[in-house]
Amino acid sequence: MTRAKVLAAVALIFIGVPWAVAVPAVQQEDDKQETQKPEAWQQEFDQVCSKTTDAMSLTVDELKSLVQRCDALEPRIEKLDESRRKVYSRRLKQCRGLYAYVLESKNNEKK
Amino acid sequence: MHRKSWLTVVLIVVSCSPLVAQVGGKKRRPLPYEFGSVTISTYSQRASMAPVVFEHWLHRSMFTCRVCHVDVGFAMKPGASNIKAADNQKGYFCGACHNGRMVANGRTVFAACKKLVKEEDAARCDRCHSLGKQVPVEYDFNQFAKSLPKERFGNGIDWQQSEELGLIQPSDFVPGLSIKRKNLRVENDFSLNSKVAGMPDIIFSHRKHTVWNGCELCHPEIFVGVKKGSTKYSMATIFEGNSCGACHNTVAFPLTDCQRCHTRPVQP
Repeated sequence: MTRAKVLAAVALIFIGVPWAVAVPAVQQEDDKQETQKPEAWQQEFDQVCSKTTDAMSLTVDELKSLVQRCDALEPRIEKLDESRRKVYSRRLKQCRGLYAYVLESKNNEKK
Repeated sequence: MHRKSWLTVVLIVVSCSPLVAQVGGKKRRPLPYEFGSVTISTYSQRASMAPVVFEHWLHRSMFTCRVCHVDVGFAMKPGASNIKAADNQKGYFCGACHNGRMVANGRTVFAACKKLVKEEDAARCDRCHSLGKQVPVEYDFNQFAKSLPKERFGNGIDWQQSEELGLIQPSDFVPGLSIKRKNLRVENDFSLNSKVAGMPDIIFSHRKHTVWNGCELCHPEIFVGVKKGSTKYSMATIFEGNSCGACHNTVAFPLTDCQRCHTRPVQP
């Protein structure tokens, strides 16, 4: 084995080992973020869908904003594990559906 | 001739029997404790378990329809939620309450599915996976119904009056899933004209319905359109399980109880 080859092998080890260690660490960080994410989406979900009881007293602009926030939440809920996805996608659909329904009703009143 | 007539009778019976089988006999009216029960067999049999028999009467005596069909996320049609044991184990669907921690009616609610099932768990599994089994009941229907206002059909219980009199206090909140919200603003009642001459009109009470259902359980999933008349329905479609029939042929008082909805005196 030439000296150059030995040097190349050593260099590879020095570069490769930290890289191999770093990748799972990044992965773990991603997983951690994944477990933290639900907090953010959950908070947003709770805020958005807590207004269904007084949907009729909301303004057209408020309703439009809520529908948009529901639409923005949808892809985040789709990424959840199966159990939560099944529950929360249905809940989001119901909540969005109601806001859109009331919005349509208010728009019809204006006409 | 005598022999020929016998042959004719036999031929008629044989030729008609497939027709009878196709059309089916008259559906047996469920007994009061059976009314509203739902059989769920999405994955049970694949796991060599008996299908689940869900008793609506027991659950609706403690919880509103909304809390289960909105907050917990149960679909309105049996099997449509695609529930797996893993969902229950994680605290969703049945596991939202059946977690071995929640207390209802002064009793700890037994836990639903477990990852590892031991022999001693069999009796607990059977409490839900009970189709075709003689499972000892913890809540007796007749005992429960005894003190409640009576109704002619369905469970034989006037649930609405029971709630109004405070004899039952269905909870509208499940910890961990329900959101704290403002009190519900109830919309006005309205009338629906009967399409049959001589049949009294319907007075639809938003108040009576929202107590149990909130808004988002019915709108827009069951009643789609905003404009009056945009949801097309007739008694035929209602009997098929659409609009009012989504609940009033399954769990709420049945459609055979005409006078509960058609309450307004006939207009001269």
